[in-house]
Amino acid sequence: MVKEALPAFEEIEHTADLALQVYGKDPKELFAHAAQGMFSLMQCAPQEGAEPFSCAVELTGYDLEGLLVDWLNELLYLSEREGVCFEDFEIEELTESRLSARARGKRPCVLGKGIKAATFFDLQVVQRPDGYYEATVTFDV
Amino acid sequence: MVRKQDLVRLEPYLYEIPRSFRSDMRVPARVYADERLLEKTLTDRSLEQLVNTATLPGVVRYTMAMPDVHQGYGFPIGGVAATKLPHGIISPGGVGYDINCGVRLLVSSIEAEAIRPYMDRLMSTLFANVPTGVGAEGPLRLSKKELQALLEEGAAWVVRRGYGDRDDLEHTEDGGRMEGANAAAVSARALERGRPQVGTLGAGNHFLEVDEVVEIYDQEVAEAFGLQVGTVCVWIHCGSRGLGHQVCTDAVRLMQQSVNKYGIHIPDRELVCAPFDSPEGQEYFQAMSAAANYAWANRQVITQLVRQSFEEALGGHLPHVELRMLYDVCHNIAKVEEHQVDGGTVKLCVHRKGATRAFGPERPEVPERYRAMGQPVLIPGSMGTGSYVLVGTEKAMEETFGSTCHGAGRVLSRAKARKSIRGEKLRAELENAEITVRAGSMRGLAEEAPAAYKDLEQVVQVVHKAGIARKVARTKPLGVIKG
Repeated sequence: MVKEALPAFEEIEHTADLALQVYGKDPKELFAHAAQGMFSLMQCAPQEGAEPFSCAVELTGYDLEGLLVDWLNELLYLSEREGVCFEDFEIEELTESRLSARARGKRPCVLGKGIKAATFFDLQVVQRPDGYYEATVTFDV
Repeated sequence: MVRKQDLVRLEPYLYEIPRSFRSDMRVPARVYADERLLEKTLTDRSLEQLVNTATLPGVVRYTMAMPDVHQGYGFPIGGVAATKLPHGIISPGGVGYDINCGVRLLVSSIEAEAIRPYMDRLMSTLFANVPTGVGAEGPLRLSKKELQALLEEGAAWVVRRGYGDRDDLEHTEDGGRMEGANAAAVSARALERGRPQVGTLGAGNHFLEVDEVVEIYDQEVAEAFGLQVGTVCVWIHCGSRGLGHQVCTDAVRLMQQSVNKYGIHIPDRELVCAPFDSPEGQEYFQAMSAAANYAWANRQVITQLVRQSFEEALGGHLPHVELRMLYDVCHNIAKVEEHQVDGGTVKLCVHRKGATRAFGPERPEVPERYRAMGQPVLIPGSMGTGSYVLVGTEKAMEETFGSTCHGAGRVLSRAKARKSIRGEKLRAELENAEITVRAGSMRGLAEEAPAAYKDLEQVVQVVHKAGIARKVARTKPLGVIKG
């Protein structure tokens, strides 16, 4: 089966910015993997003696692509505000119009790289013939 | 994908993608390039993105890619598009997330030879005094009210606090303040992100460089600009930090619905837009103008930190360590300007994303000191390779809405740059070339390596030969600080 070979995410070529190809067995896992990929691109690492931190994220929207961009930008904002490196993402509810999730991580942290935003460029959440979901996310850095 | 045969060569350095290329194009799309740069440009999706901008409602004449164009999101980086007011659209994707990312150049009478023995000390002092890196915090502690005042007044607000003087403001594009700014249009979240960051360089491709003027191409203009071979100058490249990013994020989100509301069809969701005179368009323009003012205030505070560092590191050792503002330009912005279209003067919203204003002689927007010759155009190079000062031209006014290139333009992806170039090795190479380097992250250093960029000399040569800016001087780095 090809399914086992699919990574959670992989970096793809983009001349100026950063882009990820993200995979998941369902939209929930896709969203969690996209967040993991983003924090991996940011080379986020908790400082020594960092404390656990967790917060709830509630978003409303009108389609999966819009929610995915909102979700990633919400995490960027929370990460900057709280000085936290998020590592674990639990998507509790996800429909075309609503996302409810919990993000867990540690703070304080050091960031190797800043991401300005997740963008809509080339973004489409699609279901593959093998049933998995995938999306390309381009980040402005 | 756009292929080479889809382009028509109009002039030696100008190509056109005709309207017939795609049925949704409202105007043609033009590309300034020579053969070699065009070949490189065709390897990514920048021209497809350029064609997308030619579909926007209200767009006039043609949209343009500068020779440093590369793939972005929404607009390509190095893209220019103007829409007719009042109903033509404004698009946050035509400005980008780093609103008023820009460059300023400070000049001095310090001899480069005299400064060499002190470069280590100077670069360490600058690195200690100018906050850099992701999430860096600046020297000002602002209340929400103070920040809102700063957003509406721009650089003048920090000058009143002792960061610089009137001469700095007079030699900043728009005097360091866009009049349309309205702090009430900026979200609480953007304000929160902006409060601690005034006076910080940030990370990514932002930098601070101490350079030497090494070549003059136009003596008369160079003299007027205060550029002299063998003297030291300082380049500052940064933008509006988290506040600007949030303003763009907010607008892209809000405008996802306005395209439906106004019946606008866009080929890429990152190109969301609204008519300039609509409530959504106005709210974005006011917030974007406020973010632009924030960026000018940011560069103004950094300017003063640089001056203090020069005084601290060199005062007592060298005479006259003063730094004077040559000019400050923005290269991510949408502006209301008057231009000649079809024989008449029309008001346009000119989007410049990774492009620099290059107004020619006698435009009232150009500071008095330079008005007879045109505005200074500041083109920073990639790290270690040197930068150019150009001057705006009449031809730019006629052909490009007074716009030109903004830098070298990337050719290598960040992932490839990291794989092929090691930060430590690059640093050693730069130091071998007698360039003192201070950087927050070695990996970040590698991503910004000169090899990842198009050849700046080639880019500048194209705009010079095409006549949409004229070469004045070249500078070469003595010391570099990377965020």
